[in-house]
Amino acid sequence: MNVVIVDYGLGNLWSVRNAFEYMGVEATVSSDPVVVSECSCVILPGVGNFSSGMENLRTRGLVEALNEAVLKKGAPLLGICLGMQLLADESEEAPGVRGLGWIPGKVKRFSDQTPRLPHMGFNAVAPRGDRKDLFPKVDGKTPDFYFVHSYCFHPNDERDVLAVTTYGSEFVSAIAKNKIIGVQFHPEKSQSSGLQLIANFLNFSRGGSHD
Amino acid sequence: MIKARMCFSLLYADGNFHLSRNFKLQEVGNFDWLMENYEFESIARSIDELLILNVGRGELDWCEFLKNVKKVVKHCFMPVAVGGGIRKRDQARLLFESGADKLVLNSAFFKDPQLVKCLVGLYGTQSIVASLDFRRNGAGDAEIFIDGGRECTKVQLAEAVSAVACAGAGEIYLTSIDRDGTGMGYDLAALERAFKSCALPIIASGGADTPDQLAEGILSGYASGVSTAHLFNFMGNGLKDARNEIVKKTIILPRWDFKDLKFFKI
Repeated sequence: MNVVIVDYGLGNLWSVRNAFEYMGVEATVSSDPVVVSECSCVILPGVGNFSSGMENLRTRGLVEALNEAVLKKGAPLLGICLGMQLLADESEEAPGVRGLGWIPGKVKRFSDQTPRLPHMGFNAVAPRGDRKDLFPKVDGKTPDFYFVHSYCFHPNDERDVLAVTTYGSEFVSAIAKNKIIGVQFHPEKSQSSGLQLIANFLNFSRGGSHD
Repeated sequence: MIKARMCFSLLYADGNFHLSRNFKLQEVGNFDWLMENYEFESIARSIDELLILNVGRGELDWCEFLKNVKKVVKHCFMPVAVGGGIRKRDQARLLFESGADKLVLNSAFFKDPQLVKCLVGLYGTQSIVASLDFRRNGAGDAEIFIDGGRECTKVQLAEAVSAVACAGAGEIYLTSIDRDGTGMGYDLAALERAFKSCALPIIASGGADTPDQLAEGILSGYASGVSTAHLFNFMGNGLKDARNEIVKKTIILPRWDFKDLKFFKI
């Protein structure tokens, strides 16, 4: 399997690559549209602003490359943090900027009633729907994952919700549509729970079962 | 529910890691020594967040510091905040490229607001930790010190806390110089003061050398995170045991288990 970690000039590529190294899985870090369009599994990381995220993808020719790999060829994708938010149609953080639009919905800021922002730290994740096997279990329960964000994904279709988390109120902490998955938390920063989630995603990507 | 964070701070100066008491340093050893004698891997797997702070007094050898950051971060699968001595934009960039997730800024908030503004703009407020060191004066007021505790700014704690929040800090790492390394526990009154002066998450530091004292910081309700830099007290399984002790006090901490990890052949 040919795994590519998309480098679009934003975010913690270093730690994502470190996680793959630890797992002994070869992954290419690349900003080359040709490499991205030919891969069989995509990791879209990212920390930062929605607008710079889309702009950086566009100017590097990566929007077309991702369309080719994911939509045309069906390569599974894992979007992390901003990488999840970019899957939406649009974001309150950048009015007028179009997202990838692969999972219909809008990214909105937490309401002002929310406790201290950014939402930062480990928090519980409650899986929903029939794709629960992506999440590992610790002592029989879904473990906590590390979050750092002030915006969250509001999908149009409730069926695209993969997990929810509570901070002030409930928000969507993971989404999935077909082979496209997005997580608001950072699996590469969530100790062994996050590493296991990435391993499960890779296993699912190559068509394996989770047991 | 969001969980409290148990943090560890590695104090770096001149190629080695240190213990600190009232900001006076005692050399412990270099990174290899840390790995071998302090089982750093076990520390890294028992905490929610790591801070690597350059507390050296002289001119910092950035090349050597970055090399050390890289070595440490290699073993880390949790957030890592790094700082101490950041004076230029490029230094911040190099820290991120070496694996830092957040920057820790101290003197810059008082001496170079332009740099803070620039870094907030470039990396976002969630990437900026304001480190505030304070000492109580004769009247008992908490005053902020910069430059590794050597220079008194005469700025009061509450005032400094709201100022760094306004300047774009995403959280505050609050250290009592008086209690640092003494094992007296956190200055909870100062922590309360800071909590009530801003809406940012606060990490308590300075004075906690036992699990009980770490728990006390969390139970105060004023700290989103608690930190210790006491290598001697928490070597080997020390931090893992501390987590278990804290959990016994009905504090819920995140759980994970590296023993359960199951990778697949890809």
